[in-house]
This record gives sequence, C-alpha cells and structure tokens, in this order.
Amino acid sequence: MAPAIELIGITKRFPGVIANDNINLTVAEGEIHAICGENGAGKSTLMKILYGMQPADEGVMRVFGEEVTFSSPNDAIERGIGMVHQHLMLADQMSVIENVILGSEPTKRGVIDFDAAKAHLAEVGRAYGLTVDPDDYIDTLEIGERQRVEIIKVLYRGAKILILDEPTAVLVPQEVEELFNNLRELKQDGATIIFIDHKLQEVLEISDSITVIRRGKTVATVAASEVTAGDLAELMVGEELPSPETGASTVTTDVALAVTDLTVRDDDGRAIVDNVSLQVHRGEILGVAGIEGNGQSELINAIVGTYAAETGSIEMAGRDIGSASVRERREGGLGYVPQDRHREGLLLDAPLWENAALGHQTAAPYSKGFWVDRPGSRSQTQQIREEFDVRTPNVDVSARALSGGNQQKLIIGREMTAEPAVLIAAHPTRGIDVGAQADVWNQIRQARANGLATLLISADLDELIGLSDTIVVMYHGRLVATLDPAEIDPRTLGSYMTGAALKGDA
Amino acid sequence: MSWFTNLPSWARWSLAAAVGMFVLTVVQRVSGTDLLTEEGTAQAMLRWSIPILLAGLGGLYSERAGIVNIGLEGMMILGTWFGAWGALNWGPWGGLAAGLVGGALGGLLHAVATVSFGVDQIISGVGINILAPALTRFLSERVFSGEAGGSVSQSPRVDGFGNFTVPGLADFLGTIRDQEIFWISDVAGFSRGFVAEMSWFTLIGLLTVPLSGWLLWKTRVGLRMRICGENPNAGESLGVNIYGHKYLGVIISGGLSGLAGAFIVLELAGLYRGGQTLGRGFIGLAALVFGNWRAIGVLAGSLVFSYPFGLSLVDFNAESSGGATRALLLVIAIALAGVMVWAQRSGKRGDAILAGLFAAIALVWYLGTETAAAWLPNTMPYALVLIVLLFASQRLRGPRTAGLPYRRGET
Ligand SMILES: Nc1ncnc2c1ncn2[C@@H]1O[C@H](COP(=O)(O)OP(=O)(O)OP(=O)(O)O)[C@@H](O)[C@H]1O
Ligand SMILES: [Mg+2]
Repeated sequence: MAPAIELIGITKRFPGVIANDNINLTVAEGEIHAICGENGAGKSTLMKILYGMQPADEGVMRVFGEEVTFSSPNDAIERGIGMVHQHLMLADQMSVIENVILGSEPTKRGVIDFDAAKAHLAEVGRAYGLTVDPDDYIDTLEIGERQRVEIIKVLYRGAKILILDEPTAVLVPQEVEELFNNLRELKQDGATIIFIDHKLQEVLEISDSITVIRRGKTVATVAASEVTAGDLAELMVGEELPSPETGASTVTTDVALAVTDLTVRDDDGRAIVDNVSLQVHRGEILGVAGIEGNGQSELINAIVGTYAAETGSIEMAGRDIGSASVRERREGGLGYVPQDRHREGLLLDAPLWENAALGHQTAAPYSKGFWVDRPGSRSQTQQIREEFDVRTPNVDVSARALSGGNQQKLIIGREMTAEPAVLIAAHPTRGIDVGAQADVWNQIRQARANGLATLLISADLDELIGLSDTIVVMYHGRLVATLDPAEIDPRTLGSYMTGAALKGDA
Repeated sequence: MSWFTNLPSWARWSLAAAVGMFVLTVVQRVSGTDLLTEEGTAQAMLRWSIPILLAGLGGLYSERAGIVNIGLEGMMILGTWFGAWGALNWGPWGGLAAGLVGGALGGLLHAVATVSFGVDQIISGVGINILAPALTRFLSERVFSGEAGGSVSQSPRVDGFGNFTVPGLADFLGTIRDQEIFWISDVAGFSRGFVAEMSWFTLIGLLTVPLSGWLLWKTRVGLRMRICGENPNAGESLGVNIYGHKYLGVIISGGLSGLAGAFIVLELAGLYRGGQTLGRGFIGLAALVFGNWRAIGVLAGSLVFSYPFGLSLVDFNAESSGGATRALLLVIAIALAGVMVWAQRSGKRGDAILAGLFAAIALVWYLGTETAAAWLPNTMPYALVLIVLLFASQRLRGPRTAGLPYRRGET
C-alpha cells in the first residue's frame, strides 16, 4: 500500500534562509505522525508546502502514491488534506458557522443553505465531542474555543489527511486530553494525522512515529514506542531535557504590585473579574492558574490598562496606577508578554527593530527625545537577537518572516531587556522549543533574583508549578484557592481549575 | 438597551425613524414652521438620497471586499457622462445601463491598480477622482460639443424614467394627513412622499438595498467577498480565490457609483454637466460609516444626510428663507442631549460632557437666529458623521482589513 504522504527532496529558500533543505518525509496511511524540531527548523514551512499555501523550490510530493503539484490550498483540499495553522485563521467579526463553511458552503442555487450547514456542523460536533454555538461571533470566544473552531473547520470538510500545527499550544491539559481522544477516534476511522508540538510528553503520548527536523534537514524518523523524551530532545537540539525550577526563594517583603478588590464587568454587566485582590512582591513569581475564560485575560488587561476596571485599585510600588494610561504604566516599569502574539504583540509587516521598540518607544535606546533612534534601536534589537537566540537573517526583516517560536522569543527579549519592575507574562513560552524554553526560564529566574515581580499565566501546568513561588487559582472570575507549588502536582492543580476540588472541599 | 439591540435591524431603524418624526413634529410646532414633516420635503429628501445611497452601497461592496474606495466620486462622474450618452442614444434604460458600465470600468481600473499591482488604495482612488473629470471633459468635446445644446462641459437634455404613485396607499395616507392629528398626520404626510410621484429609477435604487443585503450576507459569493475584508489569509487557506472576489467587489462598487451618476443625470439634472456630482461620492462614504457597513444602515445614512438638502430645496425659495432649516438646529440640540443622557448612563463622562457642550452650542445658535444660513444644509452631513464617529466609534464595526494590502502566500 502506498503511503499517504511522501515528500522527497523538498527544498524551500527565503531571502537569507533555507527553511527546508532537501527534506524527506513519509507518512503511512492511518498513523499519527509527529514532527519535532527547534523554532525555525522549518516545520510550518514544510506543512504549508504540503497544503499548497507556498510552492516548494525543489522536490516531489506524492499523496496516496500519486504525484501532485499544488498551486493553491484548493488543490490540497480536493485531495482530502486539511490543515490547522499555527496561528489562528479566523475572521473575528464573522460567526462560527460562516468561518467553518467558508470555501465549501452548501448552497441551493448560490444561496447558502445555513440549515444544512448547521445540521452538518452539529453532526461533526457530536461525532467528535466538539461543541460550539454556530451563531457565536469569533471575537466573543476564548482562545481555546477558537482553536476548537479551527479543528472543526478541518473535520467539517471530511479531510482524510489532517495537518495540525501546534494545536495544543493554547490548550489546558483537560482540553489536550479531549483533543487527543478526538485524534484517536479519527485515526480509528482511517484518517492520517500529521502533528506538530513542542511538548515532548504529548508527542510521545499521541503519535505512532516521529520525524525530527533540525535547521531545515530531516535528522531521523523514529517509532514513538522506542524513544524517550530525553532522546527526542537530544535529536532536536543535542541537549538534555530541561525542567522549570525556581530554586531558592528570593521573595522579599516589598510589595511591587498590589491589586485590591478589582472588578471588571463585560458589556452585559456580568462580573468577569470579581472582587480580586492579590499582591506580588519583589523577587516573587505569582502564578495564576485557571481554565481559559475564567477572567485571567481580563485581569491582566486591567492591570496593563487596556480594560477599564469598574472598581478596585491597582498599585505599583505603592503608587496608584488605576487611572494611568497604558503608556504611563509601561514607562513606570510594567513589562507585558501578551497571550496572543499576532494580535497584541507584534506588527507583522514592520521590521524587527520597530517591533522591538513597541511599548518602549519613548525611552532610550529606541528614541532620542522626539525622534526615533534608528541606530540605537537596531543595535538593541541585534542584542536581543543574540541574547535570546532569535533565528533571523537580520533585524530588518518583517516580523512575519520569523517562525512562530522566534516571534515569541523576540517579544520575551523585548520585555526582559527593558528590565521591568513588574512583568505580566501570559504564556511566555508558548510555541517555544524545549531548548529555548530553558533559556527563557533562566532569564525569568535571573530577573527574579534581581527583584523582578512576575505575574505568570500559563496553560502549561508544569511551567506554572515549576516557576511560581505561589499559585492562585482563578475560577469564574474569583480567586478561589492559594496553593504552594512545592506541594502540588499538575493533576490536583487541574482539578482546582475545573472547580472539582473546590466542590470536594465544601 | 439590550431589548433594542436584540431587535432586527429594520425594526430598529423604523423605531428610530418614528422617534425622529416625533421630535420633528414637536420642534416644528415650537418653531412655527410646517416644512419639517411636509410631503414635499420627504419627496426631495428621497430623490436626493438615491445617489448617496448608491454610492454608499458601492462603498459597501468595495470595503467589504477589503478595498477602500475613495474613487467613488470619480466613478460617479464616469456614470454621469456615460449615463447621458446612453440616454441620448437609447433612452433612459440605455442611460442606466451605460452609466452602470461606465462606473464599473472605473471600478475595474481601481481593482487592477490596487489588487493586482498593490498600489496604495487611497492613492489609486484619488487618481481616479482626478482622471474622471478630465476624461469626461475630453469625451464631451468629442461627442457632445457638436450636438444641439451640447458643449465641452454639457450634454443635450435627456429624459428621465417618469414617475408613479402607489394607488390606494397614497390616497389613504393623504386622508390621514388631512385629519391633522398630532404626530400621526405628520407621519402620514411625510410617508406619502415615499409613495406619491416616485421615480421608477428611485424604486430601482431602493431595491438595491435588500438585494445587496441578501447578496452579501446570504449567498456564497457574498460570504467570499466579505472574507476578503475580514481576513483574506483565512479565506486563502480554505481555497477561496481572494483576488477574484476582490475584483468582483470593486467592480460592483464602480457599477453602483456609475448608477448614482446616471441617476443624477436622468432624474435630478436632466442633462450631463461637468462637476454636477458635488462630492456625493464622499457623502456616500460617510453614509457607509454612519450605517456601520450594513446595507440598511447605508440607506438610513443617506436619508438622514439628504434630509437637510431636501429641506433646503423647499426652505430656500420665494416664500421661505431658511426658517425651517433653523429649526433643524433645535432638532440637533435635542439629539445631542439624547446622546448626553445615553453617554452619562453608560458611564462615559467625557462623552457626556462633550455632547452636552455641542447641544448647548446648537441651542444657542437656534435661539440667536431667525433664519439659517444657506451653507448650513451642505455642511450638515459632514458634521453629522463627525458626531457619529465621535460618540459611536467603538460600536462601529467596519471590515477589519479594508485598506490593507494583501498578497497571496504571505501568511
Ligand atoms: N514568509 C517568510 N519569509 C521569510 N522567511 C521565512 C518566511 N516564513 C518562514 N521563514 C523562515 O523560514 C524558517 C523556518 O520557519 P518555520 O516557520 O517553518 O519554522 P518552524 O519550524 O515552524 O518553527 P516554530 O516552531 O517556531 O513554529 C525560519 O528561519 C523563518 O524565519
Ligand atoms: Mg511553526
């Protein structure tokens, strides 16, 4: 039997980079095949080529034994290939159903048959246990729900070959578990799945075979049952698998950030952040655990100043910043790593050095008085590039040209080099490979030793437990528990997050 | 206010219209005029609104497809010339068709420049606005100047479509109007302007509203056009031909602007004359913003914006000299006071203060004059759209990527 996918000698060059260098990949029908590799190794590029989004410079592709050339995703879709992209591809101001059916709308004489579409959507939803309200608008959904819509988009088309580019990056463990069950079911039904992920445990759990890519070249293809996470990490980066640990406590008694009785309401007057009080001391990392949609993002938005709080106060180093503008807060030493790098973190079409200045544009070395300091910005960006290992030919390329993980590294570098007094970090290592992850953790730890106060939000519970000095659990807008990370494992933390442990207590 | 936002949009706008009529009725009692709710005012408003409506709908298609179209005005100018030329040769239907095609050619030019060659959308639009009057002048010299009544800047006279009156309904509304019941009769009289002696071309213009709403929101091609304005990369990743749908949106946009031009020639002026579009393309864009990038909203915007024009037609003449237009200042003061209350209730202190200030200015102006200046009606649409932008900008939801360049395979 011919393999589902056969890629032979695929090469793809971008100005200054060879993203794929003579890559070979064979995926058998009905298997779950993981692709691992460092940030910028060329995984997404390879998948976009397979999906017809980008043409390869060289190489041959075969789908079920037949040689193909794709000039647009349409050709790939026709062959039964579907792809969930690393970054969300949704129209925010359209409804779920519109996003899902786009491109393969059921019609009666050109008029969209929304009833048939919804019926089919419900069917798909039932079959895989994925529920969404078809009439919801995307911008009212949490990021995890949006990810679900992306997966439904592919399933709706009945794809036989699914490409999932880091689908779990934004999901909490429970949701990952659900997704994996769906994938197993799909496999049972005969689907072939290509899966990209930086979390090696997940890779080992779900996949049958694994291909490792390093710097655009295939390093090895191995059976999942025959390797450990350590082996994989070594294949990828030639290093041991790191783990996040804070080491000795550096917590001081100076309060760097104090939030008191903070309430944020949505348009309907519902309290999304409900009377929250918390303190972060100099040298402390306070982890906020919670399933997406329980008010964490509104909490950090209120602290950063992009949401107006209804009541309550926010103080930084004893100074009330509740009515200060975002810029004043930033200039006052507030660092911010947003949860969605494309939406809030970067200007995709601007060069890296401009992106590095974002949020710090009023201060040296990015500006001199009224003027932008170009040489200063460039050399500062150059420094971020070296220190944080941002893989890029130079600092004048647009942010769009960076791989997802390298975009994230740029944001981390931008915030850390500004030496903030308080850092609000939402999923700081989202999409970053295991090697670079360790570097980011080290950076945060070092800053912590120098007195940085960090408010950490992360879907990666190991990271949350490993880095935090204290963990608070947010549930339905309230802080419902304070936990000591030394005494808790991801499983128990997860049950706090879903509210299960709370009911047990009561 | 959630019950209000939950209503279907036609019900919302009808309710707003009813409240608006109530305010007009009260104000005209206070100010001693009866022109505000006069049938003639409604008729003039409706006739003046159609070019703005068609241009605004043109803008709707283009911006929904992700292309900002500042060139509506130029495409409308093409519509005036081709409309007159078509009407001279083949009568009103020929004028309508030729205007449509002429405008669509302008749209095609804009599409080639912005979609295929990535020219900045504003620059291309401005270019078309400069090119169109020059081109029509050149064409006039070739075609019209030899004919009787024609010159380099003018065509011979052309005939319009003619009018119709809805039988029964017009009489019925007339009867109610003559009862002189407070507000009810005013509404009836004003509404009669929409059913009596209406031009067939006006009817065609009005029908484009539901047609556009249906096309853009219910059909496959509409959904695909809209994705171009919301997230073209998402569309591309699902195999949608983004370039093709952008072209389609911009060409339809040009066609509708051309129709607007043909309407001016056939129904308002009776001939082609250089410079007769008077910036209506830009007012159409304002109506698009006012109407929150929705077909029915554009209709509401063009009616609201042409109300001062329509009123000025009956208000500035031998018998009247701006008394009713002055009364409009009081209407604006009341509307702003309403905005103030609403802003105060939703906790926007700054907005409330600003609205209160403007309301006070309008009120003082109203009290301090007997008759309004003749330039006032012309500036009102722009002032209105500024006010709307000032107070409702956070509720407006235009297409996300309109105005941004797009190139395939760059995600
Ligand atoms: N449009 C582009 N223009 C220029 N360079 C690009 C472009 N897209 C990708 N690259 C480069 O190609 C290389 C591979 O990128 P790719 O996105 O495939 O990496 P990746 O393996 O998916 O990494 P990550 O794990 O961070 O997502 C990177 O060096 C990146 O900078
Ligand atoms: Mg990637």
